[in-house]
Amino acid sequence: MASKLLPQALIVTPRNPHQCPQKNMSFATRVSGLPSSFKSGARTSVSRVSSFSIGLNLNPMFSVAPKRVFFVRAESNPEAEGETNAEVEVNENVEEKEEVDVEESTQVETEVQSEEAKPPRKPRIKLGDIMGILNTRAVEASEKERPVPDLRTGDIVEIKLEVPENRRRLSVYKGIIISRQNAGIHTTIRIRRIIAGVGVEIVFPIYSPNIKEIKVLKHRKVRRARLYYLRDKLPRLSTFK
Amino acid sequence: MAAGFASTSSHVGRSLLRCLSNNLSSVLGTSHGIACCNLLSQQQRTFIQMRTVLKVVDNSGAKKVMCIQALKGKKGARLGDTIVASVKEAHPNGKVKKGKVVYGVVVRAAMQRGRCDGSEVKFDDNAVVLVDKQGQPIGTRVFGPVPHELRKKKHVKILTLAGHIA
Repeated sequence: MASKLLPQALIVTPRNPHQCPQKNMSFATRVSGLPSSFKSGARTSVSRVSSFSIGLNLNPMFSVAPKRVFFVRAESNPEAEGETNAEVEVNENVEEKEEVDVEESTQVETEVQSEEAKPPRKPRIKLGDIMGILNTRAVEASEKERPVPDLRTGDIVEIKLEVPENRRRLSVYKGIIISRQNAGIHTTIRIRRIIAGVGVEIVFPIYSPNIKEIKVLKHRKVRRARLYYLRDKLPRLSTFK
Repeated sequence: MAAGFASTSSHVGRSLLRCLSNNLSSVLGTSHGIACCNLLSQQQRTFIQMRTVLKVVDNSGAKKVMCIQALKGKKGARLGDTIVASVKEAHPNGKVKKGKVVYGVVVRAAMQRGRCDGSEVKFDDNAVVLVDKQGQPIGTRVFGPVPHELRKKKHVKILTLAGHIA
């Protein structure tokens, strides 16, 4: 319930005012400056303030003589603000009612920062990697829909394609792969076949959702990655029943 | 994307061919020359423009026509476009005679045509089907494969006459 978990303004009063050196006074002034920003009403600054104030739980009892000790009094805030940020901060507040010795103000600050639940440091994504990451993601998403078999130059394949214009049936394309261009999601293969006496080459993006099935029928041994020489050869070499 | 890059690199290669062919024998060594020839042997196919000779693939009587105007497109006609052509070669008794100016629809082009799903199609030759001013084919049969880009261009009659749709 939001009423229980209110962000609380912590007010710090120096325990032994006559022992306060210059440093502590500045610290106190800084702390006293915080509630004013708190009253200004910005939500994020509220949570910041309360988290900053958490570390100031100090023990008035166990005061070693030369140490400066502050006494912290939690004051509930009349304005009810039920943010998850505030809830987290207040939970921490409730947990840490135990008294902690503080020697210096700088130590308090480091405590405060470590208590803010720092996640383990993630590796930085560099600018040049972004396209690679996006492409692998897109390829994985497409592979989940329809796994693509391993296609190499020289495979004789049959592709079933759904054409938006020809909505009735799937178009079937058969032929030999004469080249494969790798470009992430737009990886394409070029299929060549002699249809009705005329050579036809079609480039297919293999991760396209229009392609319903790719089946490798045979494999021809070739000693090249791009079989463009087939264009000049006899049509017999590019014919597939 | 990668295919486009390959085509531009071969386009650059063709222009290099002209300047390099002069220097090839004299300046470059033989091994380098052979490597250059392999790179530049891929032709860059372009549009169908004035003076392009096309094959006729219907039974209208003509055998070869020469394009005299591409009706749409500043650079030339592509797959599925209409052209104005002059008959250069014809069968002895056919519906069209040599020297006649006719309209034609390009049904096969050596230049690749991209489709909306990212695929590309290209044929080994340039072919045309003769039509009249209204777009109805003059012949009664069409030989060879035709692409289904013609459906979008509203040449449905040619598609129905075709034996094979690529």
